[in-house]
Amino acid sequence: MSEKITVASDWMCGCAGCHMSLLDIDERIVPLVQHVTLTSTPITDLKHPSKDGVTVGILEGGVNNSSNEEVAKMFRERAKILIALGDCAVFGGVPTMRNTCGIQEALRRAYVESESTVNGQIPQHEDIAVMQDTRAVDQVVPVDIYLPGCPPSADAIWYVLTELLAGRMPELKGKYLDWH
Amino acid sequence: MAIVNVTVNGQKIQAQPGQTVLQAAREAGVFIPTLCDHPAVTPFGGCRMCLVEIEKQRNLQPACTYPVTEGMVVSTDTPRVTEARKFVLELLFSERVHYCMYCAMSGSEENTQCELQRLGYRYGLTHWQFPPQTAKRWPVDASRKYFFMDHSRCILCRRCIRACDEIVANHTLGVRERGSRTMVIADDDVPFGESTCVSCGTCLQVCPTGALIDRRSAYMGGECDLTHTRTTCMACPVGCGIDALTRGNQLVRVNGDWDAANGGLLCIHGRFETVEPQPARVTAPMLRKAGELAEVSWDAAMTAIAGRLRVAGPVAGLASPRATIEELSVFRALFAGPLASDQVGLIYGEMPPALGKSAGLADLKDADLIVVVNGRPLDDQKVVGYVVRRTAEAGAKLIVVSDEPTTLDPYSQQCFGLTDLCKVDAEVTAARFPVVLYANGLPASVYGDLRSLSPKTRFMPLYQGINTAGAAKIGLGERPVKGNALFVLAADEIPNGHSLPEAGFTVVQAAYRTKWTDVADVVLPAQTWAEKHGHVVNIEGRELPVVACVQPPAGVQADTVTLAALAERMGQGAKSNV
Repeated sequence: MSEKITVASDWMCGCAGCHMSLLDIDERIVPLVQHVTLTSTPITDLKHPSKDGVTVGILEGGVNNSSNEEVAKMFRERAKILIALGDCAVFGGVPTMRNTCGIQEALRRAYVESESTVNGQIPQHEDIAVMQDTRAVDQVVPVDIYLPGCPPSADAIWYVLTELLAGRMPELKGKYLDWH
Repeated sequence: MAIVNVTVNGQKIQAQPGQTVLQAAREAGVFIPTLCDHPAVTPFGGCRMCLVEIEKQRNLQPACTYPVTEGMVVSTDTPRVTEARKFVLELLFSERVHYCMYCAMSGSEENTQCELQRLGYRYGLTHWQFPPQTAKRWPVDASRKYFFMDHSRCILCRRCIRACDEIVANHTLGVRERGSRTMVIADDDVPFGESTCVSCGTCLQVCPTGALIDRRSAYMGGECDLTHTRTTCMACPVGCGIDALTRGNQLVRVNGDWDAANGGLLCIHGRFETVEPQPARVTAPMLRKAGELAEVSWDAAMTAIAGRLRVAGPVAGLASPRATIEELSVFRALFAGPLASDQVGLIYGEMPPALGKSAGLADLKDADLIVVVNGRPLDDQKVVGYVVRRTAEAGAKLIVVSDEPTTLDPYSQQCFGLTDLCKVDAEVTAARFPVVLYANGLPASVYGDLRSLSPKTRFMPLYQGINTAGAAKIGLGERPVKGNALFVLAADEIPNGHSLPEAGFTVVQAAYRTKWTDVADVVLPAQTWAEKHGHVVNIEGRELPVVACVQPPAGVQADTVTLAALAERMGQGAKSNV
């Protein structure tokens, strides 16, 4: 094996379930890391892909605030191939339900009106990312590979990664295509 | 009849004149995807999923509305067709909010109950080219008790509207506005629950997406999780064919069987009320001790019953018409044999006299004259009522003969009282295929008059009780019975106004704890319609199978086994007395 392929991942407005599904490839992670270097992930020390760039960037979750938007743009800039992983990254997913009521109403429901809250208030600070309506990743930056699923199965994720390792663009059909 | 020669994908097929390209292709086993099309309703050509290439046609044509012609050459699977269908799907997904991950119908390609999602998979849609407006709020109408409408999932295929018009003839549904602002509405745009909707659920059954959702079975599993059992509806004597959907020994949903005489059509009782929670079950024999029913062993219960019945004197027997022919036969044998009593009958369910050739639901659809004599099919045998209404709308003449106003009157050409029954004579003689529906409790002279109608007349009796006709076949009918002791075969009946006669000792064999078990001295468990195998005879006079779709609770055995065991116990007693 000459040079390992570099892969970075991150999660945005998602539930981390797609990353759990990625870990569900189980023992196949051993051959994977023989061919691949995971440069940065949300569960490793390094959180962001380096400026030198990576071959594959994997994004879980949609874009629902200014911080997510930054991450999506950074990944697009630094990754040759960008994968939208899971229904939230591909379609916007469950968080898009929030769009129907608007940001203010969603914040009020979560921080003030929720049943377990006493004297709640909506957090406000200049360091906090600015909320936006939830969007799919490709509504912010172009995406190369769409891998839908809630979450996508470990087999589908494994199929996409191994196809890329073999130098092919994966074509998702049949058992690998499952939005559920 | 002439044959139309058509070539589909290079395959030569023979179609019937008047068939559409879709029908001809389907018969030849060629798959063409559809969404708005449904075999039970008129083709509409709205969704454009079935676009095909037809030689000498400039544009792609919808197969569902395009009639076959001699020498036609059709291609259903060219790149141009696939591209167009994919584009149609993209547009459908862009219109409203089809987020499958939180839809009750969603699943994998095998498990999904959504036809739109299945086609999305088939055409390899990994994402949406035209994202929908997520901020737009589509209304959800949850004003009906059993199912609701989520407009965000609606693709405006109008299957529900056509089903309401053509299958049920209820005409509740329609649309307002045009283009992308089109909305499915009820009546004059009122909430569904306040509309003329009769909650028959036919629209729910034909909806291809999650726009119409059954409250009880939502999120209860997809196609692979559910087991289908074809059996007979036990809600009324029409005995509609149903498809009972179960999962984990639970009845989840009831659909109409498209291939049965009812043609998929059901009513609120059969489709929804049967799946609702029922009263508490009787799961073990119970004996009344110091005024309270207490669970006892089978042996103790049987000993108590046999002991009391032997000394009680005359024993009377009453059965529910919900019992199957098999159960009623064993019940009858118990009274004819060991109990030696002729005081046996049905709790309710009086059969009107037979008048001539019997009519089935299929005959009703073919009729050109329907006469309803004193019946209320729209209230009491709803599916028959819907079919009568539908046939009348299709051009058949409907005459209602009744001294009271009925719900069918608005659909009839003529209404008159029983004294004018003779007017029917000429109409029936002039008709090609007359069908007479008649109720019980009429004066003998009326039945006499009906019997003397033209011999081409077909008759359908209107009565209560699912297996009343089956009971009549073995000589059981509604009648008052007398005895010192009373044995009641209640089956899974939930009493509706029928009280039991008083007796010194009452045994009730019942599935549920009801006001009947409240007056019983001994209660024996019984199976529900969903748990038993057997047969019933319906309003058409046909013997229909009742097929178990769930297992009974532990300790509940077949009613026939219980009755036979009691007969044996009584017989032993008789022998030992000798």
